Amino acid sequence: MATLPQLIEEDVRRLDDVLREFLVQADATVALVVDKGGFLIAHQGDASDLDVTSVGALASGAFMASQTIAGLVNEKNFNHIYQQGERASVFMRNVDEHCLLVVIFPSKTGVGVVKFYSTNAVNRVASQLQAARERDPAGGLDLSELNVADPQGFFRKKDAKQETI
Amino acid sequence: MAIINQATKELQVKIVYYGPAMGGKTTNLVQVHDHVQTAAGNKGKLVSLATSSDRTLFFDFLPIEAMTIKGFKTKFQLYTVPGQVIYNTTRQLVLRGVDGIVFVADSQYEKMPENVESFQNLIDNLNALKINLAEVPYVLQYNKRDLPNVAPVEYMEFLLNNRDVQVPSFGGTAHKCEGVFESLNMITRMLLQKFINQSVPQYA
Repeated sequence: MATLPQLIEEDVRRLDDVLREFLVQADATVALVVDKGGFLIAHQGDASDLDVTSVGALASGAFMASQTIAGLVNEKNFNHIYQQGERASVFMRNVDEHCLLVVIFPSKTGVGVVKFYSTNAVNRVASQLQAARERDPAGGLDLSELNVADPQGFFRKKDAKQETI
Repeated sequence: MAIINQATKELQVKIVYYGPAMGGKTTNLVQVHDHVQTAAGNKGKLVSLATSSDRTLFFDFLPIEAMTIKGFKTKFQLYTVPGQVIYNTTRQLVLRGVDGIVFVADSQYEKMPENVESFQNLIDNLNALKINLAEVPYVLQYNKRDLPNVAPVEYMEFLLNNRDVQVPSFGGTAHKCEGVFESLNMITRMLLQKFINQSVPQYA
């Protein structure tokens, strides 16, 4: 089940362009494109004090939970979530079957403007991902030089001396 | 499925810890988080969505950056699922996009029915996502080997590892960090092996 295509430089550059443009239009702080499995695909904006990896994982979890609720109440059109806070708010919107757009913006910015401009951004992100998918549907990564039979661990424990400290 | 980003030279993979309630899935993640040897700054924060009684409500999440393969940074995302039977919908959500599974079984005799039930639940949930268990790399971890009333490993192998292809299994005592890294390294090796077999040589 390949959900996402291999992304080349051009894809990422275009996604970044879309997000940057959207941030200016909507006066938002950070915008992320997240895979529904929890992977962060692209992000733009001032995320210096933000753990974008965790935001991506949690946002996709929350979004998918809401989609499941939609299924339980026989509703097909729960395509966005909005959380209003005192200072910061979050808006998430469905992009396509595999991805969603997550926007973090100051609460003084109205959600209307974010919602309005996100329509265009979502369409452009979706078409870029579609293009990537069509370009190379079975793309992979050449790992042929990797010796997976190597007994050395990929993850290593700190040695005992360090642990006792 | 894993994400390959040629622009930022990143490979992102998702490993899910699955198993019955109170079996030690979260403990595995906590131990990895506490003991993994990484260069400063590339071990993520362990995010845990748990109830007041330490039971996982939605999932635990630990991002780690591991070794570099041919110039690609590999980012691992470790997830656990809630073990309690009632949280099945949540388990299905977490399994989405999974690349590898560590099944954490409870070695105590009286937990065997729960282990078997949880494994069947894993197969059902994968099927619901149109994934066949045989196509996903997975390993088994027989946890809580330090308890007095544990079943022999051979018996657990018979119950849980009795398919066409036998997968690697490890005895473990997660709270002492025994078996934790062995399972994680083996699943990593298996899923990278799968990528190698699938991948076509890329033009430079």
